[in-house]
Amino acid sequence: MEKDNIVLIEKEGLINNLIVNIRKNSFGILILTPALLYLLAFLVIILYQIIILSLTYVAPNLSETFPTVKNFLDLANSKEFIGAFKRTIVFTLVGTPLELIAGMIAAGLIFREFRGRGIIRSLFTLPLAIPGIVTAIILFILFDYPFGHINDLLLGRHTFFPKIISTPIPWRSSAVFSLGVAMFGKVWRDMPISMLIILSGLQSITKDQYEAAKTMGAGALQQFKYITLPLLIPAISTVLVLRSIEMWKEFIFPFILAGSYPLLGTLIDRAYHEWNSATEAATIGLILLFCIIIFTTFLFYILSWLRRQLVKI
Amino acid sequence: MSKTHKTLKKDSNKWIWLIGMVIMIIIILCPIYMMFKYSISDRTSVVTGGAVIPLWPYQPTTEQFNGLLENKGFINAFFTSLEVALLTVCISLVLGAPAAFSLARYKIPGKALIMILLISVRLFPDVVSVIPVTETFIKLKLTNSVLGVSLAHTLLGIPYVIYIAMGVFETIPKDLEEQAQILGASKLYAFLKIIIPIALPGLAAAAIYVFLLSWNEFIFSYFLLLFGESTTLPVLLKKILSWSPQHNTLAAISVMLSVPVIIFTFIVQKYMQAGATAGAVK
Repeated sequence: MEKDNIVLIEKEGLINNLIVNIRKNSFGILILTPALLYLLAFLVIILYQIIILSLTYVAPNLSETFPTVKNFLDLANSKEFIGAFKRTIVFTLVGTPLELIAGMIAAGLIFREFRGRGIIRSLFTLPLAIPGIVTAIILFILFDYPFGHINDLLLGRHTFFPKIISTPIPWRSSAVFSLGVAMFGKVWRDMPISMLIILSGLQSITKDQYEAAKTMGAGALQQFKYITLPLLIPAISTVLVLRSIEMWKEFIFPFILAGSYPLLGTLIDRAYHEWNSATEAATIGLILLFCIIIFTTFLFYILSWLRRQLVKI
Repeated sequence: MSKTHKTLKKDSNKWIWLIGMVIMIIIILCPIYMMFKYSISDRTSVVTGGAVIPLWPYQPTTEQFNGLLENKGFINAFFTSLEVALLTVCISLVLGAPAAFSLARYKIPGKALIMILLISVRLFPDVVSVIPVTETFIKLKLTNSVLGVSLAHTLLGIPYVIYIAMGVFETIPKDLEEQAQILGASKLYAFLKIIIPIALPGLAAAAIYVFLLSWNEFIFSYFLLLFGESTTLPVLLKKILSWSPQHNTLAAISVMLSVPVIIFTFIVQKYMQAGATAGAVK
């Protein structure tokens, strides 16, 4: 009985505290509300609509059934969806490490002190300043078939470059080539982001730590293994998590460069505009969303496990 | 003996670094150079009929740009892009700047939750959200309108405005508004007349960031404007691409689209970095 009373009083205290808190910060809450409502409204619309749409089946005679999982079953049996799904997984699994490696190389190159470092640093962030669609279109032009710059180069038609192939490569009519070019574009454009994150990770390691290791007789390799790598793990994890999400949802590069080999992102566009089916587009979107959530959670656990393995105190 | 070995190793390290640097610079600059090269190419340097495409045009010309400036479709798309971007900046700042101030200054209940909401809005796949947004906007008759596209771009812009502006407001000392309030100013007055003017340079950076975001944005513009009269520059570029035009025309539009971005990016580089890595903080 008494215990209940205490709980009640505590509860009242909490509520009172909350009320005081709200009253004290009323101006803050007031000016926060519009933005918050805007975002929440969109979030509600997006989640509500996507669930309703994906559970609605529109028959060829335009009669609608709700709720049904027919869209999911149809997609599971559709060759186009399975193909896009497989391609997206490969695209993500190959592209994410590539982004990390590109960022690490760039960060490693500009980490040391040298003259003109500021300019080079700005130069390295230049790809970020080129709109994605522009990068995609430049690559579209460069990787043209049969007469494009890259084919010219590989055919040995310029004196400064050795001849590598004897017939021009049809870049856009093979899944490997077209998605490879799209991935190159993606990695090229996003390299600065990975670079900046890795760079800030590198800068957080102080010189003392290396000096201490050196006095204890650690070589360059040991320094990298026992100091740089473990201390860089947070930055690497950030790059991998953020970049893999970007890879899953990639749209513009495969859209322009690999039109015949859609990924899940570009398949959504195809479903909406070519198959004229908003419901199927929403279903693919929902599946993509689940893929991202599951993959990211999985990656997160692997990375924190790895961190525990590498950082031994 | 060991000393020469050491200097040798140091030298070879330096050479590896230098070669890596040169390759990296070439990879970064090559596509950008090619874009400018194509944009000033004359017809014979683009349609070569099987001959090698020259690395520098036979006769550099500005005819593509002159053609664009007389092209009504391009001019319209340019101004539509501008309208959309400016409207997006206005809505994002009006909503986002006060919210950022609130998050930076006040102990808001559920602040952590709000930050998670912001990160999830930023990371939410836009190819997924575009379908429900487009379907809803069709019902609300907001497709094919500048307002509709701006509202969608604002959704993407607000998290960035809040991130950048929060950083700006945190650098402004609290005493300033407290003193103003002691002198009798209301909280709203202190915010509008004292805090905002001081924060203006930082807010300008946020504005430029959102402007660029909207200027570059493709997916929402494409879905919301595909069947209408007006289009933004990125959508125009895509539409023209499907008519398979000459490469120098494509490149010239690309240049017109990129140059403002390149200039502004270097102005706000410091803040751009914060925006690009925003969401990286856990």
